[in-house]
Amino acid sequence: MPNKIAFSPDNPWPRIGWGSFASLVLMSTLFGFVILSRYQENSETLSLFDAICRAVGIPIRNLQAESAAPTLRVPTDLAWTRVTLDQIRAGNVQRGEFIALNCAACHEGSTANPSHLIPTLNGMEAEVIFKQLADYRSRKRLWGVMEAIAQALTIQDSADVAAYFSSRTGQLQANLPGRVPEGGRAFRQSDPAARLAFAGDQQRGIPPCSACHGPGGFRLGAPPLTGQYAAYIERQLASFGQGIRNNDIYEQMRAIARQLTPEEMKAVAEFYGSPAPELRTANN
Amino acid sequence: MYNSKWLALCHYWVAFVVFLPAAILGAWQMLMRSPLPAPLDDPNLYYTSVTLHGTAMAYVVTTFFAMGFGYAVTATSLGRPIKGATAAWIGFFICLIGTLMAVAAILSGKASVLYTFYPPLLGSAWYYSGAFLLVGGSMIWVVLMVVNMAAWKRDNPDRPVPLAMFATTATALLWTWAASGVELELIGIVLPRAFGLTVDMDAGLARMLFSVTLHAIVYFWLMPAYIAFYTLVPQVAGGRLYSDTMGRVTFIMFLLFSVPVGIHHLLADPEIGIGFKYLQSFLTFLVALPTLLTVFSICASLEIAGRHRGGQGLLGWIAALPWREPMILAVGLSLIMLGLGGGGGLINMSYGMNSLIHNTAWIPAHFHLMFGGAVVIMYFAIAYEMWPRITGKPLRSKRLARWQLWLWFWGMLITTIPWHITGLMGQPRRVAIFDFNDPLLAPMVSLAILSVIGGFILLLSAILLVTILVRSQIGKIELPEPLSYALAVNPPVRVPKSLNGFALWNAILLMFMIVEYGYPIGQFFILKSSVPVFEMTRQSTAAGAR
Repeated sequence: MPNKIAFSPDNPWPRIGWGSFASLVLMSTLFGFVILSRYQENSETLSLFDAICRAVGIPIRNLQAESAAPTLRVPTDLAWTRVTLDQIRAGNVQRGEFIALNCAACHEGSTANPSHLIPTLNGMEAEVIFKQLADYRSRKRLWGVMEAIAQALTIQDSADVAAYFSSRTGQLQANLPGRVPEGGRAFRQSDPAARLAFAGDQQRGIPPCSACHGPGGFRLGAPPLTGQYAAYIERQLASFGQGIRNNDIYEQMRAIARQLTPEEMKAVAEFYGSPAPELRTANN
Repeated sequence: MYNSKWLALCHYWVAFVVFLPAAILGAWQMLMRSPLPAPLDDPNLYYTSVTLHGTAMAYVVTTFFAMGFGYAVTATSLGRPIKGATAAWIGFFICLIGTLMAVAAILSGKASVLYTFYPPLLGSAWYYSGAFLLVGGSMIWVVLMVVNMAAWKRDNPDRPVPLAMFATTATALLWTWAASGVELELIGIVLPRAFGLTVDMDAGLARMLFSVTLHAIVYFWLMPAYIAFYTLVPQVAGGRLYSDTMGRVTFIMFLLFSVPVGIHHLLADPEIGIGFKYLQSFLTFLVALPTLLTVFSICASLEIAGRHRGGQGLLGWIAALPWREPMILAVGLSLIMLGLGGGGGLINMSYGMNSLIHNTAWIPAHFHLMFGGAVVIMYFAIAYEMWPRITGKPLRSKRLARWQLWLWFWGMLITTIPWHITGLMGQPRRVAIFDFNDPLLAPMVSLAILSVIGGFILLLSAILLVTILVRSQIGKIELPEPLSYALAVNPPVRVPKSLNGFALWNAILLMFMIVEYGYPIGQFFILKSSVPVFEMTRQSTAAGAR
């Protein structure tokens, strides 16, 4: 009979098991939720209720004395939420082509862009174009004529034109996940521009450009740079460095560009603007 | 071994066939991270390799080994054929197909998400589907273990379940609880996104669910080693198990304390309240109890054997043990690594000390020493013990086997001790390339090179392992002794119901899970912390473009 063993009176284990369970939970809850969360170093002793809130992970009102906070400056009104991505995804290439007739004069015609301070857009990521248009529209990025143009475009128009440019192939090399083209370790690059692009500079806390802008790396919202006009890249680096342009969401471009010397900006811009042959082929 | 022979053999062979290339990758990765020049010097390839090495070693080798061991133990400890052998074969092939899918996806370079595949990283759907099949297929094994134990209990109402079977079923149940986290993560979050049904992923919830798996899976890996400690080691040593009850209590405690503790892997995650972090760290410390019980119990059993063999004096019994047996040598080496690694583990699980070593090289060093060292060396010893029983051919040879175990032991120490130190010096983990010219990193150069040397000793040992197994497999048939398990000093005649089954302990574990994980998981349904993914297989978000 299986139950003969089962119901033998000498089975203390349910008592031991549940008893240990209850005492362990009680003890750890008492310590974790009531005692340790109340008394934390560098923090005022909390009331019981606040202590439990902290232990559970619900933000409690900051009990520190309020100090004058600097006015909040928001770098951009756009966030990479599902809504934004859906808006971009809804872009229509055919409609975008029609809207893009307005862009061609400056972004494609070389006569209006003799010094190449205006970027080329063929092959640009749709997300990038959409974000920059949104920033121009909300005046988070300033460039004379572009604010007015962006304000004339609806969100759907922006998505359409972004889809159109991203569907074109041009001098920009798409940010596909390729192998870092030069193969060897980036730290051993003798060319300082290539070193910055592929290894960054740890001592100044500068991450490699390629981690977000390619080749090899990709980050949502970061434009591919390989094939972009060098003059444009250099101008943007200088603008970020001086805080004239400040629509980078986490301030990373301002933090990086601030530390670059003018020579480095020029070198990196030329590195991306006139890529070496192997850099071009690596992305094809 | 009844009908478990081929089952066990096929499972073991998959495990060891995967083990060798994964060991090669491991050695290459050590070289890649070091200041020495490495072939195929490419960071992207490094992440692909880490994903493959981790997936192979942590999921494939362990799951197949545990399943094969479970089938062998079921048949031999119960002394009768396995019920449901057909289902077992179906499970084997499901797991095999899953493995092939995952490996193919990783090799294509589209699933370099590392073996923990934390969202918002997103790789190929083939990888996740493969992982899901592997875990899902192993659930057939779980069911078969439970069914076989229940059927035996029904047929033998007044005999206690043999300890080996009891422990194997504990392993199966532990795996069910452990795998529930990753299964829910895959079904609920990752696979829908990988198939394009959703737009973003809840990274916080995914990490939380994975933490349910992440610590308990380690104990799933560990269990075959512990089963060998309790049931095979005393027998090979020529003695008896110190206490049968202590064995049962140990396996029950592993079941209870290895699952509701996973948040100690997320001590740096901001969305979890400090109370729950404390709660789970507290319970994690209790895992030390069954471990210490085991160390005590095994040493006592070995002392019984040593004295039985004529050992005298305070420590004379140690010298009297049959160290020429691979199993005894392995248990000695394993306990040393367990001691070193266990000490490191106490640091990892401490809320405060964890922040010193969080995400540093200390972590991979720790789990290589614990799992790759203390546990895997027991896998080898189990294989050496089982091989003659399965194939009917003697091991060729015990001397080579001892060489292999020693090489593995020294290789693991030489790899992981410098690795721990570089972690303490602040070297991050999961980074492909380091600028060792940097003054911060320069002191790590000799340590990193030492680790490489250890890595290649390990590779040598892995090659030796497969050589021994192949040599034994193609040898001449001799009649082997049957596999027998250690008797306890006082063999159990009657055990209380609760030490003969798992109903009570599953109920307690369920309550633990509700208390420890109810709110931490539930909060995500209010937090709405979904984020866009970071695709390792880059796709344009603009429909129709490109």
